[in-house]
Amino acid sequence: MNELLREYLPVLIFIIVAAGLSGIMVIASLVLARQKPDSEKLSPYECGFEAFDDARRQFDVRFYLVSILFIIFDLEVAFLFPWAVSLSNIGMFGFWSMMIFLGVLTIGFIYEWKKGALEWE
Amino acid sequence: MAELNLHAALPEIWVAVSAMVLLLVGAYTGDRAMRLIGLLSMLVMGVAIVAMLGIDVSTVPQLAFNGHFIVDRFAVFAKVLALIAAMASVWMSFSYAEREGMARFELPLLMLLATLGMMLMISANDLISLYVGLELQSLALYVTAAIRRDTVKSTEAGLKYFVLGALSSGMLLYGASMIYGFVGTVSFAGLSTALSGATEPSLGLIVGLVFLCAGLAFKISAVPFHMWTPDVYEGAPTPITAFFSAAPKVAAIALFTRVLVDAFGGLTPQWQQIIFAVSVASMLLGAFAAIGQRNIKRLMAYSSIGNIGYALVGLAAGTPQGVSGLLFYMAVYVPMTLGSFAVILAMRQKGQMVEEIADLSGLAKSQPWLAHIFAAILFSMAGIPPLVGFFGKWMVFAAAVNQGLYVLAVIGVVASVVSAYYYVRVIKVMYFDEAVTAFDRVDGSLKLVLASSLAVVVIGILFINPLQNSAIAAAASLFPE
Amino acid sequence: MDVAIVALPLLGALIAGLGNRRLGDRGANWITSGLMLVSFVLSWIVFLRYDGNPRVTELFTWFESGTFEASWAVRVDQLSAVMLVVVTTVSSMVHVYSIGYMGHDESKPRFMAYLSLFTFCMLMLVTADNFMQMFFGWEGVGLCSYLLIGFWFHRPSANAAAIKAFIVNRVGDFGFALGIMGVFLLFGTVGFDAVFAATPEKVGQTFHFLSWDVDILTTLCILLFIGAMGKSAQLLLHTWLPDAMEGPTPVSALIHAATMVTAGVFMVCRLSPMFEYAPDAKMIVTIVGAATAFFAATVGLVQNDIKRVIAYSTCSQLGYMFFAAGVGAYGAAMFHLFTHAFFKALLFLCAGSVIHAMSDEQDMRKMGGIWKLIPWTYGLMWIGSLALAGIPFFAGYYSKDIILESAFAAHTGAGTFAFWLGVSAAMMTAFYSWRLILMTFHGETRADHETYHHVHESPWVMLAPLIVLAIGAVFAGFVYYDKFVGETMEAFWGASILFAEGNEVTHHAHDVPTWVKLSPLVVGIAGIALAYLFYMFRTDLPARLAGTFGGLYRFLLNKWYFDELYEAIFVEPAKRLGFGLWKGGDGAIIDRLGPDGIANVSQDVARQATRLQSGYVYHYAFAMLIGVVILVTWYLFGSGW
Repeated sequence: MNELLREYLPVLIFIIVAAGLSGIMVIASLVLARQKPDSEKLSPYECGFEAFDDARRQFDVRFYLVSILFIIFDLEVAFLFPWAVSLSNIGMFGFWSMMIFLGVLTIGFIYEWKKGALEWE
Repeated sequence: MAELNLHAALPEIWVAVSAMVLLLVGAYTGDRAMRLIGLLSMLVMGVAIVAMLGIDVSTVPQLAFNGHFIVDRFAVFAKVLALIAAMASVWMSFSYAEREGMARFELPLLMLLATLGMMLMISANDLISLYVGLELQSLALYVTAAIRRDTVKSTEAGLKYFVLGALSSGMLLYGASMIYGFVGTVSFAGLSTALSGATEPSLGLIVGLVFLCAGLAFKISAVPFHMWTPDVYEGAPTPITAFFSAAPKVAAIALFTRVLVDAFGGLTPQWQQIIFAVSVASMLLGAFAAIGQRNIKRLMAYSSIGNIGYALVGLAAGTPQGVSGLLFYMAVYVPMTLGSFAVILAMRQKGQMVEEIADLSGLAKSQPWLAHIFAAILFSMAGIPPLVGFFGKWMVFAAAVNQGLYVLAVIGVVASVVSAYYYVRVIKVMYFDEAVTAFDRVDGSLKLVLASSLAVVVIGILFINPLQNSAIAAAASLFPE
Repeated sequence: MDVAIVALPLLGALIAGLGNRRLGDRGANWITSGLMLVSFVLSWIVFLRYDGNPRVTELFTWFESGTFEASWAVRVDQLSAVMLVVVTTVSSMVHVYSIGYMGHDESKPRFMAYLSLFTFCMLMLVTADNFMQMFFGWEGVGLCSYLLIGFWFHRPSANAAAIKAFIVNRVGDFGFALGIMGVFLLFGTVGFDAVFAATPEKVGQTFHFLSWDVDILTTLCILLFIGAMGKSAQLLLHTWLPDAMEGPTPVSALIHAATMVTAGVFMVCRLSPMFEYAPDAKMIVTIVGAATAFFAATVGLVQNDIKRVIAYSTCSQLGYMFFAAGVGAYGAAMFHLFTHAFFKALLFLCAGSVIHAMSDEQDMRKMGGIWKLIPWTYGLMWIGSLALAGIPFFAGYYSKDIILESAFAAHTGAGTFAFWLGVSAAMMTAFYSWRLILMTFHGETRADHETYHHVHESPWVMLAPLIVLAIGAVFAGFVYYDKFVGETMEAFWGASILFAEGNEVTHHAHDVPTWVKLSPLVVGIAGIALAYLFYMFRTDLPARLAGTFGGLYRFLLNKWYFDELYEAIFVEPAKRLGFGLWKGGDGAIIDRLGPDGIANVSQDVARQATRLQSGYVYHYAFAMLIGVVILVTWYLFGSGW
C-alpha cells in the first residue's frame, strides 16, 4: 500500500466504525423492539400539529442575499482565527497575505453597500 | 523554488487590481458608466497584452507563486489570443447592451474577471491553481449568461450552465483528488516526473484522469459533455454567446493541452484514446446535429462543438506538430466565430433582434457587404481554400496523419464535408432566397469587427507563415527538449 | 504568306465571334468575307507560283513529351497548294453568298464566325506537317460541322442531325486516333516526312494478335482509312451526311460537299507513301469507294428533298475519289476532288438559291415550272449538272473519265469491280441530276399560289459567287487535266504524292480501249435521256414503276434501311444499356447508396441528434455521467484490464 494512502487509514477506520455503529443501531431496533405500527405512530410529528401549508412557498429573495453575505464574512472570520494564532510563525508574508485578502473583501463589501444589498427596503 | 517571482504574474495582478478599482468606480457612478467601464476594461486588457509580451520567456519559462504559476511561450500565445477575443467581445456588447436594457456596469467587469480567470487557467501549473482559475472564469460566466435576469431564456441559460458547470467542477475535483491520491502530488512538474517512469499506471489514476478530462471537456463543450452548449448559446444574450464561443474556449483548450501534454505526458497513450473518442464524437455531432437547426445561434453552438472536435484532432496527435496545429486552429477559429456573431448581432429588423436562419434570406440584395462577409466567413469555416479556415483544418489533419491516426483524419474530413452542407445552406439562404424584411443599419462598432474578421479570413493567408511559426514555438515550450 | 492564308480566317472568326454585338451584322459580314477573300487571292498566288519545292514554316512547338514531339507548322507542297485553292475559293464564295442567303437570319455574326473558324481548321488540316496537327484540324472541322449543322438550334431535327454527325464521326475518328497512335508506336514520330521516309523498311512486318500474324502497315492504313470513311461519309459511316442537310445551305455547300468531306480523300492521298506499301488496304479502299459510289447513286434516284439528292450525289462522288485513290490513281482522285468542289458547291448554292426563292421549300414535289422566274439560277444549275454528269468539256467529264479509266486500267479484281459499279453509278448520276432539274424547274408548278407568287431571282451578292464557281465548273477540267493526271503529272505532284515502283495506273489509263473511254459519256447521255422520258414526256412512268417494283422503290427510298439497321443494332441496345445503367446502376445503386442515401442517413442522424437535446438539465447531467462511464469502460477494456 502506498505510503500516502496509509496516512488515511484512521479515516477509513473511522468511516467503517461509524457505518457499522449506525447499522447496528438500526438493525438492533428492528430485531429487538416490538413492531406494532398504527396510523398515529406512522404519521409525522407524532407530538406536533398537522402541516397547514406547502413547505415550498415563495419568500423574499433578500433572505438569501443576507445569508449569502453572512456566509462570506463568516468565512472571513473563520480564516482570521488560525491566522491570528499562527501569526508569529508566518511572519510578514503571512501578515500581508491576510491584508490583501481583507482588502479584496472590503472592496466587495463597499460594492454591496453601494448597490444597496444591505438595505431591506 | 520558494519564491514569489511576482513580475511573471504582473499582467494578472494588473488585471485583478484594475478590476477591483473599476468595480469601485462602477459602484459610485452606477450603470450610466457602463460604456466607460467597458472601454477601460478593454484598455486594461490591452495593457495586459503589452505587459505579457514584455515578459521574457524566449529561453526558459518563468515560474511564479512557488511554481503554481507558469509563463511560457505557450501561455503567452494562448493568453494573447484569449485577451484579443475578450476585447472584441466587450466591444461588441456595448450597443446591444444599451439597446436591450442590460447595460449594467457589471457586464464588462464580469467579462474582465472571467478573462482574468482564463489567464490563470492558461498559466496554471498545478491542479489547485487550475481549479481556482477555472472557477473564477466559470462563476463570472454563469452570471453573464443570466445577466438579463428579467427574461426567462437568459435566466434558464444561466441556471443550466451553473448546475451543469457545478457538476463538471465536481467531476474535475473528484478526478483531481483521485490523481492526488494515487500519485501524491498536485503540481504538474511533480506529476510529470512521477509518471514518466515506464511502469503501468494504476487503475485509480486512469479513472481520475478520465474524470479530470470530463471536467475540462465540459468547459470546451466537447461531446458528450456538450449538452449545455446549444441551450446556453441560444438563451444567453448574443454578445455573451459570442464571448462564450471564443475566449473561454481558447483558455480551456490551452489548459486541457497543458494538463495532458505537460503533467500527463507520461500517460500519452492512455489519454490519447480519450481525446480520440471525444474528438470523433464532437466532430460528428457538430456536423450532423447542426443540419436540422433553424436558429442561427444554435447552429453556431453546434458549429463550435464541431470546431473543438477538429482542434482536439491536433491534441490527439500528441506531438509538437499537433499542438501547434491546435494553436493555429484556435487562432483562426476565434476571428471566424467572432465575425459570425458580429453578423448575428447585426440581425435586427425594425429594432427587434431576430435569430432564425430564414431571417437572413435575401441579405445579398438588401445588405450585400454583410452577406459577402458572412459568406466569406462561412466558407472559411467550411474549410474551403484559400481561406484561412482551410489551413487550420489542414494542419491538424496533417498532424494526425503523421501520427498514423488515419481514421481520425478521415472522419474529420467526412465531418468537414457534412458541416460544409449547413454552412453553405446559410449562404444559399442569403443569396438565393426571396428577401423578407431588410435588416436595420449595422452599428459602427460591429463594422469594425466585421472588417477585421473579413481581413483575417481573406488576407490572413498572407500571414500564415509567421502565425504558424509562433504556434510552433509556443507548442515546443510544452515538450521537454 | 503561307501563314497569312491560314491565320486570316481565324482572325475573322475571332473578330466576328467575340465582337458579336458591337460589330453588328454588317461588320461581321464584311470583315469575315473580306479576310476570306484576301486569303483566297493569296492561295491562288501560292498555287500559281508554286516552284515545286515543298516548304514548311514552323510556328512553334505544341507537344514535347519524351520522344513525342509535334509542332504547329504550315506545310506547302503541291497537294497542300491544291487544297488551299479549293478550300479558300469555295469558302470565300460561300462567305459572300451567305451575306445574301442568311440576310434574314438573326445571328449572322455567329454564322460567319463559324464559317471562318471552319475554314481555319480546314486549312490547318491541309497544311499539317504531322499527324497531330492534321488530327487537330480534323477534329476542328468536325466541331464546326457540328456547330453549323445545329446552327438553327431551336429545331429539334437540326440538333439531332448535328449529334448524329458528331457521333458517327467519332467512330471514324477513333480509328484515325488509333492509327496515329499506331504510327507513333511503329515509327516513334508523328512527323510526315520522317514517317514516310521510314515506311519502306516496315513493309512485311507483322504483329501477333489473337493467334493471327497481321501486317502492321496494312492495319495502320485501314485504321487511318476508317477515319477517312467517317469524315468522307463512305458506306457504313455515311448515314450522317444526308441528315447534315439540316444545316443552312451554304454550310452544305462548303462543308458537306466541297471541303470537309473531301478531307478523307486528301488524307489518303497525303498518306500515299504509306498506302502504296499496303496493297491490301488499297484494295479495301477501292471496294468501299466503289460500293459507296453505287449505293449513294441508287438512293439518290428516288429522294424528293432537293438537298438530299445532292447530298447523296456528293456521297457517290466521294466514292469515286476513293476508288481512284484505291487503285493508285491519286492524281485522278485529287483531280476529281478539285473539279467536284466547284460544281458541287455550285449545285448546292443553286439549290440554296432555289430554296431561297421558294420561301424555304425543299421538297421537289412542291416545285416545278419556275425556270422562267429564276433564269440565272436555272442556267447555273444546268452548268453544274452538266459537269456532274460528265458531259464533255465540262470539268466533271475529265475527272470522272480518268477515274473510270484508271479503275479499268488497274486490271485487278477490285479495279474492275469499281469500274462497272462506277459506270452504272455514272448513269444514275446523270439520271437523278436531270430528274432534279426537271422536277424543280419544269412542268406545271406544284407549289401553292402564295409561294409561286413570291418566287424571285436571288440578289447579285448570291449570284456572283455562283458565277465564279460556274467558271470553275466549266474550265477547271481541261485547264488542269494535263497537270493533274497527264503525262507530266509526276513532275507536277513532285514528292507530295508517292507512286510506288510499277504504279503506272494513270498512264495506262490513257491507253484503255475506246469503248471504255466512251462508256461514261454514253451512259451519261442515256441517263439524261431517261430522265427526260420520265419527267418531261411520260410523267406517269415514275409512279407506275414505283408501283410495279414497290419493294425495290421502298428499299431505295429508305436508303437501303441503313438507319433502321443501325437503330436496331447499335442505337437501341446502347439506349437500353444506357437506360439500364442509368435507372438500375446509377439511380438504384449509386444514387441510392451514394449521395441520396448518405443525405438521407445524414438527415436521420441529424434528427436523432437533435432529439437528444431535450432541454432537461437532468438529461444533460445524465449524458455527462454516461459519457464518463463509457470512457472509463472503454479505456479499461480497450487496454486489456
